[in-house]
Amino acid sequence: MRAIRRAASLAAALLLAGCAVLQPGTPPEPSQNAAVVALLDKAQAQSSAGQLEAAGASLERALRIEPRNSFLWQELARVRLGQGQYRQAENLAAKSNALAGDAKGLRAENWRIIGQARSRRGDLQGAQAAFERAGAEQ
Amino acid sequence: MAKRKKPKKRYLIKFALAGLLLAAAFTVYLDFTVRARFEGKRFALPARVYARPLELYPGLSLSPAELTTELALLDYRETTLPGEPGTYHWSNDTLDLVTRPFVFADDPQESVALRVEFANGQVRGLLDCGDGQPLQLARLEPALIGGIYPGKNEDRVLIRLDDVPGHLVDALIAVEDRRFYTHHGIDPRGIARATIATASGDGVQGGSTLTQQLIKNFYLTAERTLRRKLTEMVMAVLLEAHYSKEEILETYLNEVYLGQDGNRGIHGFGLAAPFYFDKPLSHLDNSEAALLVGMLKGPTYFSPRSHPKRALERRNLVLTEMAEAGGITEQQLRSAKAAPLGVVDRPSRGTSPYPAFLNLVYRQLMRDYRDEDLRSEGLQIFTTLDPRVQHSAESALSKRLARLEIARSMKPGTLQGALIVTSTQNAEVQAVAGGRDPRFEGFNRALDAQRPIGSLIKPVVYLTALQEPQSYTLATLLDDSPLVLQQAGTDDWVPQNYDKEFHGEVPLRAALVNSYNVPTARLGLALGVSRVMANLRRLGIERDLPEYASSLLGSNTLSPLEVTEVYQTIAGDGFRTPLRAIRAVLTAEGEPLQSYPLNVEQEIEAAPLYLLTAAMQDVVREGTARELGAYLPAALEIAGKTGTTDDFRDSWFAGFTGDRLAVVWVGRDDNGPTGLTGASGAMTVWGDMMAGLNPAPLILTEPDNIERVWIDPVSGLLSDEGCRDAVELPFITGSAPTESAPCGPRSLGRSIKGWFERTFGR
Repeated sequence: MRAIRRAASLAAALLLAGCAVLQPGTPPEPSQNAAVVALLDKAQAQSSAGQLEAAGASLERALRIEPRNSFLWQELARVRLGQGQYRQAENLAAKSNALAGDAKGLRAENWRIIGQARSRRGDLQGAQAAFERAGAEQ
Repeated sequence: MAKRKKPKKRYLIKFALAGLLLAAAFTVYLDFTVRARFEGKRFALPARVYARPLELYPGLSLSPAELTTELALLDYRETTLPGEPGTYHWSNDTLDLVTRPFVFADDPQESVALRVEFANGQVRGLLDCGDGQPLQLARLEPALIGGIYPGKNEDRVLIRLDDVPGHLVDALIAVEDRRFYTHHGIDPRGIARATIATASGDGVQGGSTLTQQLIKNFYLTAERTLRRKLTEMVMAVLLEAHYSKEEILETYLNEVYLGQDGNRGIHGFGLAAPFYFDKPLSHLDNSEAALLVGMLKGPTYFSPRSHPKRALERRNLVLTEMAEAGGITEQQLRSAKAAPLGVVDRPSRGTSPYPAFLNLVYRQLMRDYRDEDLRSEGLQIFTTLDPRVQHSAESALSKRLARLEIARSMKPGTLQGALIVTSTQNAEVQAVAGGRDPRFEGFNRALDAQRPIGSLIKPVVYLTALQEPQSYTLATLLDDSPLVLQQAGTDDWVPQNYDKEFHGEVPLRAALVNSYNVPTARLGLALGVSRVMANLRRLGIERDLPEYASSLLGSNTLSPLEVTEVYQTIAGDGFRTPLRAIRAVLTAEGEPLQSYPLNVEQEIEAAPLYLLTAAMQDVVREGTARELGAYLPAALEIAGKTGTTDDFRDSWFAGFTGDRLAVVWVGRDDNGPTGLTGASGAMTVWGDMMAGLNPAPLILTEPDNIERVWIDPVSGLLSDEGCRDAVELPFITGSAPTESAPCGPRSLGRSIKGWFERTFGR
């Protein structure tokens, strides 16, 4: 995932340099903004190092630059899930969904996060419903 | 006789003994007092409040002028070759600057030399001057925007004796207390010298040692009595008995009063150095040290900013005494005397240039901290204030109100207003104006003015309806005919439209867009007042409001801040995020104490909120707020709502772009009529402000259970693209009308037309 982001960040840099060649078939970039990609990278590194609060702060910085970026909201949901804040994780994933439009992959992933959050706080029926939605999105 | 004498003598002895005991007890008491204060925390340190740090990145919309304003707020200085932290240089559209090191809530940041290139009102490129590499992102340190001060607004920055340059200590001792290192708290020779000097008319001299001065400032009142003087001397001796000279000196250097900045008292050399010279204490040269020491005698009288000539003479006198005491050479004396005062210009800021915003920060802090801790622990508070937005808000409000008064021949000062700006998705408060004078520290209308909200309630009524797609859609026809509500024990309620007319059957969307009162009241009564008010609570009002039929037309009072909470949830796609003015709190040492993370809670389902927002965009496009087009381009697709109350007492506008929400109230403090509608008053302030902020367009994400259908607005029935007056409206899937208007797809006419088209082609 980090490698993909690195590549995305490189692609974004190339794009800014005005010499990019768009390659078909690459997954959708989380952002066209190099600063946002850099902060996402940082958040990812902080998450891997177990610094979830710092990762959340980096994602909030990115969200100040691109407040309607559904990818960032999803990352924040994932961080809260890791922190054991299940209700927040669920709400943030729902927020990501509200901004996702027809990005099916992203929506499916949000439903999976919602499913995990629900199951961890004991709402197994709700979790089941969320996982079904995830399946239906794809 | 002898027998009588004996008891008298005994009494005398007893008397003397009692007196000694009393004196001893008093001394013990003084001793306790002296130690108690010195052992504990000696100084109350104010909480320091910072604005948001400016993040620079390629693509950021920011003009060179805006960045220069930010740098001025950070006290950066322009130099030809930036090298020191806090300096910059412009050459055309390229800025070189060196940031200061800073400890942020998330991580510390070293000083960095940056090159920022601008083009077309944007940051085009960012370069690390150290290694010449491009940067994706750089963060400036945040501007200090105020403090939460201990009593009497004492501000200070604590220093340790090690940080104090030797020549400053030399100057202090040469002028104030030459035998400081040898005496035991009081200096009899000094007192004698002072007495002689005073008697011989050689000017009045104090004769107090540094220790006595510290005792006076620290423990005693300013009264000048012999008793107080004696107490002071005893305590000075006691202090010296318990503590080292270094400790006493350090405390003195941190304690003393060195000037005034508005209502803020400048205490201690640690704060005085940056306040007067914009540099740390350790960097002061001989003449600067002498200037500060000279001011101790009378910081107001010898103020270098208001009385430069006097201050200069006093400084040179101090320098001469330093030379006499052997602290500096003749050569150093000459060059120091020739130096200018070196005091930097700085507008007075007082406790804060943004008192209304600080007020909000303080209230939010009070949920988690004690007042006492805020005023003494030296906490560092990182807030969400965006100075650029704040200035735009302040200037729009004060200038526009003045213009409205002139245009309507009102006495200057008649109108007042309040304004709050937030970011739509994360609910950070970027600006607060509590009145037309932004520096005024009194009544904060943004937080405390409780006013009827008028038509600002209508979106809540219509949202409640749109949450029932089986019964209500944007095309549903509402009854706008005379309405009389009779309730036992109260007067009849007879709502009127603004234009005093009735419009027959009006589509729900048009009723909101034109802000019709009568169909709104009828709709709200059908839904139930309590359901509408329950929705208001879900949107962000945390207290119970009285529920009347007139609540449906906004008779309830709310503060601009509360209104902002409500519209925040609408602007945030139905997700509620309590408004945040604080991002994080750090201890004085830079340890994270608390963060205020972004939390969201879905309160309103996506689809009805989408319908409501689309209709609020129509309010600006074609309804009561259409005049906003004179301020901002239509392509921004702004969503908003005007509000006007009875007799034009309150003028409201609440609206949002793709990135910011702002709520404006305009009215009078005496609650008198202003003659202004929401559109002619508050909305003009809103427009002025947003026009200066380069807003992002509001592009809504359509939920997947929304479909678009052509409607005949008159009948509310199905129509078709080519039909006269047909409008395309969003519907929650399955809620669109199925019956067709005469020109609609299932109408007879359309069938015939379709048959012809099918038969003969186009």
